Amino acid sequence: MSYSTFNRKQFDSMKEPMFFGENVNVARYDQQKHPIFEKLIEKQLSFFWRPEEVDLSTDRKDFQKLAAHEQHIFLSNLKYQTLLDSVQGRSPNVALLPIVSLPELETWIETWSFSETIHSRSYTHIIRNIVNDPTLIFDDIVTNKEITKRADSVSKYYDNLIEMVNLYNTMGLGTFNIPGKGEVEISMPKLKKALYLTIASVNVLEAVRFYVSFACSFGFAERTLMEGNAKIIKLIARDEALHLTGTQHMMNLMASGKDDPEMAAIAAECQDDVRNIFIEAAEQEKDWAKYLFKDGSMIGLNDQILGQYVEYITNVRMQAVGLEAHFETKHNPIPWINAWLVSDNVQVAPQEAEISSYLVGQTDNNLDDSDFDDFDL
Amino acid sequence: MTLTYKQDAVQIQEVCPPTESSNANLQEQVHRVTLGKQQILVTEDEPLLAQLERAGIHVEYQCREGYCSSCSIKLIWGQVSYPFEPLAWVQSGYLLACCAIVKSDIEIAFFD
Ligand code: FES
Ligand SMILES: [Fe+2]
Ligand SMILES: [Fe+2]
Repeated sequence: MSYSTFNRKQFDSMKEPMFFGENVNVARYDQQKHPIFEKLIEKQLSFFWRPEEVDLSTDRKDFQKLAAHEQHIFLSNLKYQTLLDSVQGRSPNVALLPIVSLPELETWIETWSFSETIHSRSYTHIIRNIVNDPTLIFDDIVTNKEITKRADSVSKYYDNLIEMVNLYNTMGLGTFNIPGKGEVEISMPKLKKALYLTIASVNVLEAVRFYVSFACSFGFAERTLMEGNAKIIKLIARDEALHLTGTQHMMNLMASGKDDPEMAAIAAECQDDVRNIFIEAAEQEKDWAKYLFKDGSMIGLNDQILGQYVEYITNVRMQAVGLEAHFETKHNPIPWINAWLVSDNVQVAPQEAEISSYLVGQTDNNLDDSDFDDFDL
Repeated sequence: MTLTYKQDAVQIQEVCPPTESSNANLQEQVHRVTLGKQQILVTEDEPLLAQLERAGIHVEYQCREGYCSSCSIKLIWGQVSYPFEPLAWVQSGYLLACCAIVKSDIEIAFFD
């Protein structure tokens, strides 16, 4: 079955599964099988922001004052985030668009990926502002061992799915001899399994892997350092929180069997694999924290505390996709991070930082206003 | 979506917070939230999260708007409702503290 950019068949798209049904033809949103994806699109569009709106001139001065080991922490996190968003800015499109079957989900995937490109552009904005030669930083992303190790884990499920779908689209179902790979079996269950594991690994990428970096950025900002960067990270974190909800919905819809009955069996069969994806990512993130702090910690954060935070946030995310929490850490060791992660008052101009939501309690909105008082725009 | 704990959206009217002390006739519903050995009294005026925080209980949160699921906690028994349907998936047997309005006495728990 080869991909068509405009499927000529007549079919009822309300009866299609999320993936591996008919290729989408008419981009229509008046009727939706899963209205959640249309809602995610609307929310994401309402979040629109541009990195250039955030002034980073103070960050440049701050960065020069940081100790060498703190510069290492800051730059390493930036590199890692650049890697993650490089992957996310293209892979949902490349891997998922050829197999998606619902117009609202297709558009969510595109909207989601597009927002990742804003994240990538913001890293360039940050890096350009704090160093004279961005090339040194960008080049290191493909050679630095600690980063490339992670590149393998975040891209392997995507790459496997893409390869299988390519074969499926050119050859159809069957077993094929692929030079350098041997016999590769392409069957619907195998394709669906590859898809489910990919969605799970993306969920882990967005729901766990970013958080060590987020914690460090906010750790600096707690000391009123690199506050422009923190402002950008807040915007990125808000987007990521929405993205992870997207993949949680996909996983939970698949597991429920309500979308595609076959997928429920595959989700059940993959449960241990998914657990392991979470656990492996958490372990890698703990190692990452050790690498960050190899030459010294920063005030309020060290590799142990960050390791506990990784365990904690992994538990939270596992629970959200119906898995039992794996780690012992049942309390957030850095509860102050939530006040930074909260999505209100991320408007660029502090004077606009009105609390618009009735949901916001009195406990959390003092911090941010005052924190940005001395932040010149 | 039909989930046990995500009930039909209730229309929450804009009720101004009581300003005078004679608010006894305001039909303020108070419910008991049991969390382990603790008991906290909450009203239907605002979501559970803010009320737990005022009681000194740390609850994980991020968006406080129902789209990230970070504030998901176990609902062992009892009833909650959502003024509007959250974007986050609500696992059956869980509630989203940032937007759930407590509608009866309930018992909650953090991790298993
Ligand atoms: S804090 Fe995000 S859903 Fe409640
Ligand atoms: Fe991103
Ligand atoms: Fe993302």
